[in-house]
Amino acid sequence: MKHLTSPKLTPGVHCLNIRHKGMFVTSGPDPDEFAFYDKYDSTAYWCVETSRGFGPDGAPVRPDCCSGERDCCKH
Amino acid sequence: MANKYSWPEKPALLGTSVKRLDGPDKVTGRAKYTYDINRPGMLYGKMVRSPLPHARVVSIDLSAAEKAPGVKAVLAHVAVGAQVMYQGDPVAAVAADTEERALDAARMIRVRYEALPHFANVEQAMATDAPAVFPGGNTRQGATEETGDLVAGFAKAAHIVEATYATHVITHVCLETHGCVCEWDGDKLTAWISTQAVIQSAQQFAQALGIPQANVHTIMQYMGGGFGSKFGPDSQGIICAKLAKLAKAPVKLMLDRKEEHLDTGNRPSATAHIRAGITADGMLTAFDGQSWGTGGAGATSGFPLPYIYNFPTRKRTHKDVYINAGQQRAMRAPGHPQGCFLTEILMDELADTIKMDPVAFRVKNLPPAAPNAMWAEYFARGAKAFGWDKRHATGDPTPGPIKTGMGVSAHRWGGAGQGSQAHVDIMSDGGIVVKCGTQDIGTGTRTIVGMVAAETFGLPLSAIKVEIGDSLLPFSGGSGGSTTAASAMPAIRVTSVDALEALFAKVAPALGTAPENLVAEGGRIFIKGTPAKGLSWKDACKLIGTEPISVNGKWAQGLSGSGTSGVQFAEASVDIETGIVRVTRILAIQDCGLIVDKLTAESQAYGGVIAAINFALFEDRILDRVTGQMVNPNMEMYLLAGMSDVPKIDIMLNNMPERGVIGIGEPPTVSTASAIANAVRNATGATIRSLPLHPHKVLAALEQEKAGGTN
Repeated sequence: MKHLTSPKLTPGVHCLNIRHKGMFVTSGPDPDEFAFYDKYDSTAYWCVETSRGFGPDGAPVRPDCCSGERDCCKH
Repeated sequence: MANKYSWPEKPALLGTSVKRLDGPDKVTGRAKYTYDINRPGMLYGKMVRSPLPHARVVSIDLSAAEKAPGVKAVLAHVAVGAQVMYQGDPVAAVAADTEERALDAARMIRVRYEALPHFANVEQAMATDAPAVFPGGNTRQGATEETGDLVAGFAKAAHIVEATYATHVITHVCLETHGCVCEWDGDKLTAWISTQAVIQSAQQFAQALGIPQANVHTIMQYMGGGFGSKFGPDSQGIICAKLAKLAKAPVKLMLDRKEEHLDTGNRPSATAHIRAGITADGMLTAFDGQSWGTGGAGATSGFPLPYIYNFPTRKRTHKDVYINAGQQRAMRAPGHPQGCFLTEILMDELADTIKMDPVAFRVKNLPPAAPNAMWAEYFARGAKAFGWDKRHATGDPTPGPIKTGMGVSAHRWGGAGQGSQAHVDIMSDGGIVVKCGTQDIGTGTRTIVGMVAAETFGLPLSAIKVEIGDSLLPFSGGSGGSTTAASAMPAIRVTSVDALEALFAKVAPALGTAPENLVAEGGRIFIKGTPAKGLSWKDACKLIGTEPISVNGKWAQGLSGSGTSGVQFAEASVDIETGIVRVTRILAIQDCGLIVDKLTAESQAYGGVIAAINFALFEDRILDRVTGQMVNPNMEMYLLAGMSDVPKIDIMLNNMPERGVIGIGEPPTVSTASAIANAVRNATGATIRSLPLHPHKVLAALEQEKAGGTN
């Protein structure tokens, strides 16, 4: 499902339950974005299983910590 | 390259000011928001939330609540032993036959907690002796961004400014709180939900509840604000659905204002210690910034820095700091108001080191001009329109306690959209129904969907029936990132053009011509160049027959674009005896590609500016530094602008039809606060490097200025 993919997340690496707003917005590319400022991450992530920013194990939901080492990770 | 779908060169409706289709429904109360939905036999849900910022749940006793009068369902949302990570973290819930009984029963749920160490602010979390509260660490160091030789950049500088700048946490304060009404029919769920993503909410309900997505129907016809915070059911939505299942009855669960402040998102704080250099003739040479911020418990806090202006050598590091407070969510231009403020106050300080006009200084250091980077032109137009030549140097020399000043700031945003689909029916009675699974989050989407169809069919807006806000309609994305118009309008245009062509095919034989010779204008279909040889719309549609023209279509390249730029000017007066700031004028110059409805586009800009006045002068989520509890989770002590606080706001929209439709929801809210802060600096001569500009902070800055200077 196209709207559930994200350049911030890698299939097979990140948990299938991680979500962020960008996955639900059909945004087009903004090729010049980083001509005006450097990269940054303001993304709010949540777990679709718990519907909050913490996974079933109580730890935060973020790409750096939802990548397979947690028991709750779904692949 | 122009094609049959291209926007008309001489539109009849597009770009004009058209009142909202649903305006009368809203002002008369006919419009049904989620809060207004009432179902037969409906129950009311209430949630029990953690009063502590960090604790382990020791026990949950639901028994008293289960026996309470009118109670139909009770559930524990977390397991015993689980940790709650912030005040307001959901723990349990109840549904009863009245709201009052639900509230009473919620109070009967006994939860015992073991309090754990917590952080109420970033200083506590960043302290070297801070306890480990968050798995993996209390902070997270981001990547370092570096361009050019920073040492060489500073070596070229004739002047260096070094200071710390900061913005604060604010909450979304949606007038309609988050929540939904859930009703089951067997294993099928219908949810009326206050959401910016009606189709995507169905997907999230399905996955969280473990049911097929095809069994979920979500509806959102009207919404009282979301600003980025309403992209799914959240815990209250899933709890509402579970309560309804348990009780075998519909349940309404709308959050109250306190819950709204605690658990539905916020704009992260941002702080940066910056060192920046310029040459004697006003060219930026170097930027070195270390930034940090908090998005609450375990969440990110990134923002763009430096913002827009061209620092040829620069280095920036950022650190996310976790505290025990509700997590951030996207909030109207995520990161941009913070990065804009931190950069733009610095820019005025730098300009003052060489006594250069702030507008001229900014123009000198802009990236090259482009259709999506029009700042130089906007600075010039704005300066003329605003009377910038009357601006005095920093510090109003006028005698007396009231000082006035002017400030300026610039911003940009992406705003590209794609991917929407649409469906158009033309009936033999002349009726037209346009369907799209987008949603109107208060921006006027319903109206512009109708306008694009009406423009294509050569009819008045009143001839179009618009159906949106329902997960059963053709796919469209959630409304975020200012993408809705750019995503949905091309789909409406393409589908309407295809439907019109199908109608032309039916009508052409009757007019003795080929379909490609026909046009639709002014309520008639006629042979191009010969208006007399035609039929009224109604008579033409009689040729359709019993089977309506029914066409599906989707977004196509070339009808929308990305990248907007804008500039804002502010005038403010400051009472140096009380510290009270009043904004007297704002001028917002903004482009958004092809303007669809001038009125609703201007409304977006007005709303963005007013929201940013709140950010600059009023709003502030205050956590008690000891207990970690929010001390102003209401609408009394969490301040917002009243009518008398809203200044004269002038909007100058730059119509750029050749760029196609681009979103405007976010950009106008980015630079207002910076322009206001710079106006306050210009008025008082004192630099306030953090928001909000509350009176006590203004007075402290004035005292500091007297004692030796803030600059």
